[in-house]
Amino acid sequence: MKPTPFEYHRAETTEEAVRLLVECGEEAKVLAGGQSLVPTMNLRLAQPSALIDIAGIGGLAGIAREGGSLRVGATTRQSAVLADPEIAVDAPMVAEALRWVGHEANRNRGTFGGSAAHADPAAEIPAVLVALGADLEITGPRGFRTVPAADFFVSFFTTSIEPDELLTAVRLPSRHGPWAFEEIARRHGDFALVGVAAALVVDEQGIVGACDLVLMGVDDVPWSAQAAQEVVVGNRVTPELAREARAVIESTVEPSSDVHASSCYRSHAAGVLVERALLKATGRKEQG
Amino acid sequence: MTESGGFPYPGGGRFVGARVKRAEDPRLLTGEARYAADIQLPGMLAVAFVRATEAHARIESIDVTEALSLPGAVAVLTAADLDVAPVPLPFEFDGLAAPPQPALARNKVRFLGEPVAVVVAENRYQAEDIADRVRVRYDRLGVVVSPEAARAADAPLLFEDLGTNVLFERTESAGDVEGAFAEAAHVFRKTFHTNRFVACPMEGRGVVAHYEPRADHLKVWSSTQTPFLLRTTLAAVLPYPEHRLQVIVPEVGGGFGAKMSTYPEEVAVAAASLKLGRPLSWIEDRRENLLAANHAKEQQITLELALDTEGQILALRAEHVGDAGAYNFNSTSCLIEPFIGARNLPGVLRLRNYEWTVVSVATNRSPVGAFRAVGSTPGSTTRDAFLDEIARQLGIDVVKFFRKNMIRADEMPYHQATGQVYDSGDYIGSLDQAVELVDYAGFRRRQEEARSEGRYLGIGFSPFVEATGWGSEIAKSQGLPFSSHDNASVSVDPSGMVTVATSMASQGQGHETSFAQVAADVLGVDVATVRVTQGDTDVSPYGMGTFASRSAIIGGGSVLLAAEEVRKKVLAIAAKTLEASAEDLEIADGRVAVKGAPQRGLSYPEVAAIAHWDLGVRSDDDGHRLAATRFYDPPATFSNGCFVALVEVDPELGTVKLEKIVGVEDCGRVINPMIVEGQSHGAVAQAVGGALLEHMVYDENGGLITSTFMDYLLPTALDVPPIEIAHMETLAPHTAGGFKGMGEGGLMSAPGAIVCAVVDALSPFGAVLEELPLGPEQVARMAGSLATEGGHS
Ligand SMILES: Cc1cc2nc3c(=O)[nH]c(=O)nc-3n(C[C@H](O)[C@H](O)[C@H](O)COP(=O)(O)OP(=O)(O)OC[C@H]3O[C@@H](n4cnc5c(N)ncnc54)[C@H](O)[C@@H]3O)c2cc1C
Repeated sequence: MKPTPFEYHRAETTEEAVRLLVECGEEAKVLAGGQSLVPTMNLRLAQPSALIDIAGIGGLAGIAREGGSLRVGATTRQSAVLADPEIAVDAPMVAEALRWVGHEANRNRGTFGGSAAHADPAAEIPAVLVALGADLEITGPRGFRTVPAADFFVSFFTTSIEPDELLTAVRLPSRHGPWAFEEIARRHGDFALVGVAAALVVDEQGIVGACDLVLMGVDDVPWSAQAAQEVVVGNRVTPELAREARAVIESTVEPSSDVHASSCYRSHAAGVLVERALLKATGRKEQG
Repeated sequence: MTESGGFPYPGGGRFVGARVKRAEDPRLLTGEARYAADIQLPGMLAVAFVRATEAHARIESIDVTEALSLPGAVAVLTAADLDVAPVPLPFEFDGLAAPPQPALARNKVRFLGEPVAVVVAENRYQAEDIADRVRVRYDRLGVVVSPEAARAADAPLLFEDLGTNVLFERTESAGDVEGAFAEAAHVFRKTFHTNRFVACPMEGRGVVAHYEPRADHLKVWSSTQTPFLLRTTLAAVLPYPEHRLQVIVPEVGGGFGAKMSTYPEEVAVAAASLKLGRPLSWIEDRRENLLAANHAKEQQITLELALDTEGQILALRAEHVGDAGAYNFNSTSCLIEPFIGARNLPGVLRLRNYEWTVVSVATNRSPVGAFRAVGSTPGSTTRDAFLDEIARQLGIDVVKFFRKNMIRADEMPYHQATGQVYDSGDYIGSLDQAVELVDYAGFRRRQEEARSEGRYLGIGFSPFVEATGWGSEIAKSQGLPFSSHDNASVSVDPSGMVTVATSMASQGQGHETSFAQVAADVLGVDVATVRVTQGDTDVSPYGMGTFASRSAIIGGGSVLLAAEEVRKKVLAIAAKTLEASAEDLEIADGRVAVKGAPQRGLSYPEVAAIAHWDLGVRSDDDGHRLAATRFYDPPATFSNGCFVALVEVDPELGTVKLEKIVGVEDCGRVINPMIVEGQSHGAVAQAVGGALLEHMVYDENGGLITSTFMDYLLPTALDVPPIEIAHMETLAPHTAGGFKGMGEGGLMSAPGAIVCAVVDALSPFGAVLEELPLGPEQVARMAGSLATEGGHS
């Protein structure tokens, strides 16, 4: 389990990283925390010709308030995000989801941006970014652009970042509505078999104005459960409504099977988790 | 002296039974310990293996031209270059067709991951690059990945010469099984299929071989459990004169049986070093370990039980079908799962009528071999699940059901239907103690209350009896008749310090501590003055090594016997010097003195100095050299105990939360309770994996899907619940010191306890065991939360 030969470059600035990406060509890869890339290289599933290490770029790490949102630099370590007091207040679902991401040792190295850029469809952070309506900042030789999370994830391990571009930050809008994050994994720290990030907007009467239900582990990208969201919006979340949403999920989701769980189980669990998430988010005791 | 040793020795007895801190831990915990991967020799080269990428194929050609042109390439050796004999069976076994595995595949590969060529390069990175470029052309053959497929009439054959894939098939019986079934009030029958899971030691295999042509010396460091057997095997197959071959076991990071047999890789690396005259190092990586170190635990077991109206067991039929994988290597590895499984399945049950069928079938999967509680894990798990299900159907509490059918203490020694003679123990007493420890009645109340809140708690029991010691007698009674023994030397040096050399080879069990405790008590010295050496064939006396819970009995026993001889010499020298009779002397705290007159005495250094340098004493009798080597091949002895699991299950999602696992262990005289508990804890962790997580999954082409730790799920510390271990101490009546073996019971029994607890939790849903391991999907299905397999719920 040793990687194939590769060049190693350590970039000092974002500009230098972009220049190196251009120079080294399509076979080069960005190295951030290495928690996904290095194992894949050791298994020789990835055989990049060069690595551009961005972990040392000063301006890329850190969390800053910008207007109504929190800007998380791409190389901010996951553990730093998890421990951040502003995240706890303005984006508590991010902190909750990070507790499910690997183990402490992985989070000490793994970066927030890396998790988004890696785009594992069973990963927690991508689903949360879509549910919260985060924006992703990308820099490349053609300049700077911002992509909404809903458009960022393209397919398995594929995002709208071009090979010569760099994800530089994630902007998290502050959302203070009811939320819940539910997941089932084989062991604590494993990628989700299925999980759901639920973010709601509810008025004083308890009527749901907006509902984002984003599932992980059921599609090749974080999956927005449109039909179930529609069931919820405009209504009060009751056990019956949650059950109805569950039924809609079970009949609309089409996950695939793997060695850990069949499609059938994943559909079922997705329904159960959505039901539980809705009840948890709105603070009602689950019944039945 | 009784056969149980003289514990407590007059004036001694301070260390055996005490929680002596492990002598090996400071170096293990600080990283000072040196494993195979830490060995660096001048001019050493790295080895990687080219492994089969097909599960069953003829090798058409191997092209190494491009590979040899890569940087760092030294050699690529195939079966044609390394002419070594396959590892022979250590003993004849009637009816066993067991074609051995060659060191490197010859003409044909039979499982994916089989070694095809040895790549030697400057470093491991280059070796892997080179291995990738060795072009092997395969002509694919039909693949069989299950015993059912392999037994089909038109199945492709792994070994054409045999004309069948069935390597072994035998039915044995005791008593009147047919008669008992004819009389039965109830007959139950069920087929179980247990999961394939593996030892996964933290350290994989590793071999460093250094051939020095002019010294005519071949030195092999290997992460093995059996240094002497490896030496003897290498000498035979390479071939190389055994007296010029030295095997050294560096620190070993776990073995659990998987480092017991001689592997093809060990032979290939040694042979390559002989050929090249260079030191070579092969350090197995995790993927190789999952692919090609032995697999274990998978059996298909059909049980049929006859009961009378009172729930008394009348007879049992068992059929064990083992998936041997592609080869039988070295030992009777293809047999040990089903064969030992069937023999140990009755366990604690009072059984007069038993019929058991054992079948072993070759398939295109990784070869099966030993792993802690060999064969017995599947047997115990299925037996427990079966009995649990039957008790529920009959409306009998499972503990009552067990108690009614378990062997009583007053029936000891008990002649089990399988021919094994259980020497001693209070099996029901162990169960009762476990019942008390978990407050069974209280648990049932708690379970009721929880159910009314929609929470599902469960409890599972698994009483066990464990064949330990594996001397020749027990080997014979297990149906695998081989000579099995060990030696230990104990010597006192001129300064009065004690060295114990044993043929055992620790993989973390703490031999350096427990053997020192035994020697210290026998000799009456402080444990800190005893050092234990092991694992170097140039230093230790010959023996079989550490596996099958044999070290405490055979290692501890041989140390005890050798130390007793040295003790006699110490007493004789002191008697002569002090002008007293040896019977009037006692040894305590490192001093030999006249009983009742402690001032008339000698310290160990004084005795040692006299023994070595005092011409008057020494010349008297050369037997006064303070050293002895003793051989020990113990009689059979069986440990016992009971594990209980407490769980909470989410029936909708199928998740299992382990609340607690409680174990009662009776391993005879306990040398070090802390080490015994550590063994149980480790076994329980593996039981958690086996019951809930671990499974080797193949695709229909013989490809291993679970070839990394992303897919092969080991329990982490977070998955292992609190474990409580209690001790019972029924001295073994016939072994030296009264020791019984232990270490495997937890993996024999805790998986069954966990499985039964999950089923118990889901009993309101009418759950029964269907599939292992119990992942969330299997559990949700048991609870009826999911539609049938494949369907959409
Ligand atoms: C034992 C273990 C358990 C894990 N469990 C989980 C889990 O439960 N859930 C989960 O979500 N993840 C899990 N992970 C993966 C972990 O979260 C990774 O850290 C994360 O997926 C990638 O972040 P990284 O900084 O390590 O990126 P790297 O591994 O360095 O890179 C990953 C990929 O993203 C690209 N990339 C990284 N940063 C950028 C950037 N700024 N711009 C452009 N491309 C970039 C790289 O080129 C590479 O292709 C686990 C990892 C391990 C080792």
